[in-house]
Amino acid sequence: MTASSQKIRIEFNDHVVRQFLVASVFWGLVGMLVGVIVATQLASWRANFDLPWLTFGRLRPLHTNAVIFAFVGNMMFAGIYYSTQRLVKARLASDFLSSLHFWGWQAIIVGAAITLPLGLCRGKEYAELIWPLNIAVAVVWVVFGWNFFWTLKRRNEPSLYVAVWFYIATIITVAVLYIVNHLSLPTSWTHSYPLFGGVQDALVQWWYGHNAVAFFLTTPILGIMYYFLPKAAGRPVYSYRLSIIHFWSLVFLYIWAGPHHLLNTSLPVWLQSLGMIFSLMLWAPSWGGMLNGLLTLRGAWDKVRTDPVLKFFAAGVTFYGMATFEGPLLAIRSVNALSHYSDWTIGHVHSGTLGWNGFMAAGMFYWMAPRLWNRALYSTALANMHFWLGLVGILLYVAAMWVSGITQGLMLGATKEAGTVLTYPNFIEAVTATMSLMHLRALGGVMYLAGFVLLAWNLWKTAAGAQTVNGSVEVPAATAAPSAMGVAGGFLNAPVLYSLSLIGCLILWGAGHGIVAGLGLWGVIAVVIGALTHQQFTGTRWSEWYERLLENSLPFSLLTAVAVLIGGVVQIIPTLLLNKADQVGEVRQIPYTPLELAGRDIYVREGCYNCHSQQIRPLVGDVLRYGDYSKIGESIYDHPYQWGSKRTGPDLARLGGKYPSVWHFHHMRNPRQISAGSTMPNYPWLFVDPTDVAALPTKLAVQRRLGVPYPELSAAQIQENVQAQAQTFAEELKNAGAEVPADREIVALIAYLQKLGKSETIPATKTAQH
Amino acid sequence: MFHRILVEDWQRALTIASFTLFFGVFLVTLLRVARMQKKEVRRLENLPLEQESHE
Repeated sequence: MTASSQKIRIEFNDHVVRQFLVASVFWGLVGMLVGVIVATQLASWRANFDLPWLTFGRLRPLHTNAVIFAFVGNMMFAGIYYSTQRLVKARLASDFLSSLHFWGWQAIIVGAAITLPLGLCRGKEYAELIWPLNIAVAVVWVVFGWNFFWTLKRRNEPSLYVAVWFYIATIITVAVLYIVNHLSLPTSWTHSYPLFGGVQDALVQWWYGHNAVAFFLTTPILGIMYYFLPKAAGRPVYSYRLSIIHFWSLVFLYIWAGPHHLLNTSLPVWLQSLGMIFSLMLWAPSWGGMLNGLLTLRGAWDKVRTDPVLKFFAAGVTFYGMATFEGPLLAIRSVNALSHYSDWTIGHVHSGTLGWNGFMAAGMFYWMAPRLWNRALYSTALANMHFWLGLVGILLYVAAMWVSGITQGLMLGATKEAGTVLTYPNFIEAVTATMSLMHLRALGGVMYLAGFVLLAWNLWKTAAGAQTVNGSVEVPAATAAPSAMGVAGGFLNAPVLYSLSLIGCLILWGAGHGIVAGLGLWGVIAVVIGALTHQQFTGTRWSEWYERLLENSLPFSLLTAVAVLIGGVVQIIPTLLLNKADQVGEVRQIPYTPLELAGRDIYVREGCYNCHSQQIRPLVGDVLRYGDYSKIGESIYDHPYQWGSKRTGPDLARLGGKYPSVWHFHHMRNPRQISAGSTMPNYPWLFVDPTDVAALPTKLAVQRRLGVPYPELSAAQIQENVQAQAQTFAEELKNAGAEVPADREIVALIAYLQKLGKSETIPATKTAQH
Repeated sequence: MFHRILVEDWQRALTIASFTLFFGVFLVTLLRVARMQKKEVRRLENLPLEQESHE
């Protein structure tokens, strides 16, 4: 027997796959249960129970983080580890790293489940975790990446199947997004201020937020689709060629689309336009991928009726198509004017998460469990019942949110008398008009959760007492090594150098002035002619470079990173440069006093941004309802920015001075006393708990380091300043018949709310210089 | 520079530039994919279907 014909058997590490699968089901149940609770709270304020750790503002971040990072995260890791080992015919490189990855991730989730209800929060959506947990996430993600790429290095299959490409894009992009959006300066072990503020923070947040959806909830699941769907259907993917186009188009386009979350805001218009245009272009690759998935079932459609795995996959991919149709639609500026800040967005997100993520997870679990525990699925009937409960639940939920969102958008924007008067001047009218739909949404959520309980029960009965079994595969003892090209070889070659030169010249041409722009144009022409001539004379087959690239994971990964990050660089770098206090136009925010800053931290802690925006759009409805539209300079000192993404209650950007302080006092104690029909929770603890003044010196010092123009104040001066302002508010309240000690949190919060919208005008001569 | 980033009207150029950039990427990928050998495509698309002990 020759060395090349000798075979060895490799046993896969399926232990960690089982661990991630079980963790995903467990955290899925927790996350969905919290989802049902917060949905109920929107239908009935009493479900907040007047308890701080059970209020909507604190539980909603727990729900989103649990379902994204705990449920889908664990599911994604299970799918990636299972499929990658088989696609590259190698066991995971390190059992230790695999265990560290699993237990580290669960420890972070437990940390999040404790800290978020306690109100320890960064105040940015899907990025709420406190900074020590942020560091832990980054470390565990590096462990994951290390284990993954080390496995690729040890692979016995030279080619990388397209699913592995999607995993590579996921690992690299999530790492960059997460780190940049979580850059913070700590003020204590549990609190920090983001490095970016105002418009910068908004842009970085939605660059992250949108691409968390893209690269955490979409690309890894597409990789899973490209592996598990052919397995379940017993036939190869409909078109491998289409999957390649799907991959490159998607990773190139997705990163540019983030600003569509900030349409009609004070974000520079060119960024909004880029966000909209790239979102529209996403239609094509998304639908290409969806069709590729569905057409993989060609000749196997009869199985869809009987096989719950295929049923879940077919519905999941269909929801991918629906969500990726709706996403670009909502990114059209005029449509967004209606849909943004409304429940329509919530419905869109849930058709993606419940339909695409949840159903793909269910299909994958039903496929994997019998193989991982070496026993047939306990009950196909239960799995089918899960499918129908889940499907009806999603449709109920999504349809309720569509109707609710469009109703809210229409009512809040409606005007009469030639557009000079609001038809529904009281915000609460839109709340009460959609109340029945809140109940329907909660019912849809309960049905979906009930289906998932059936899945948990079914898998438990399948696995209980069964013998776990690890998969294995035979590979040749000596595998031909792929032709190595190294990192330098990935970049220092004609196609890449010509491409980079072309992009550089295009930027000079587009962004430069006068001679620079002229040089850019001539550079473009020279590069194109140079590349064509080079190829003509040398007769080089540049495609060979690409073939080799597909067998070399490191340069492939780096080039993927370049493709993914171009959009981020183009959008974010210029905006980082512009957020200077004297570069922001005609108005500039007045920094908060120490007491107001303390009040703002309470606002962030209670998660008020989950229901209230602080951004008035240049739309008739917004301006008539809330006042002049928001300017870019009005929030430059806000770390974090609080523009929000949903208006369950009204916008607060110009709340300061709109009502007397006693109005806020009564409103925070019992919103219904002021506004009948309000669904806002009561905040009784704010009237009891003292304001954390001791933390202010450190917080102000950090704010100064972030560029907020505070004078240097000693701890004693800060204390004096806080007391004086708090006393003024306490006396104002007392005179209005509402007595409260000056050191209570409610006083600091009222001070903050009364400051909202206060800005100074910058002299025209100063703005003209820029 | 700041004035340009903040207020200048980039709309006309942006739409064309965005489309050109993406279409360039798309076209290159399309050409690459079209030139792939059938045999190689068959081999790659069957990678998930290779048997292992769980099958």
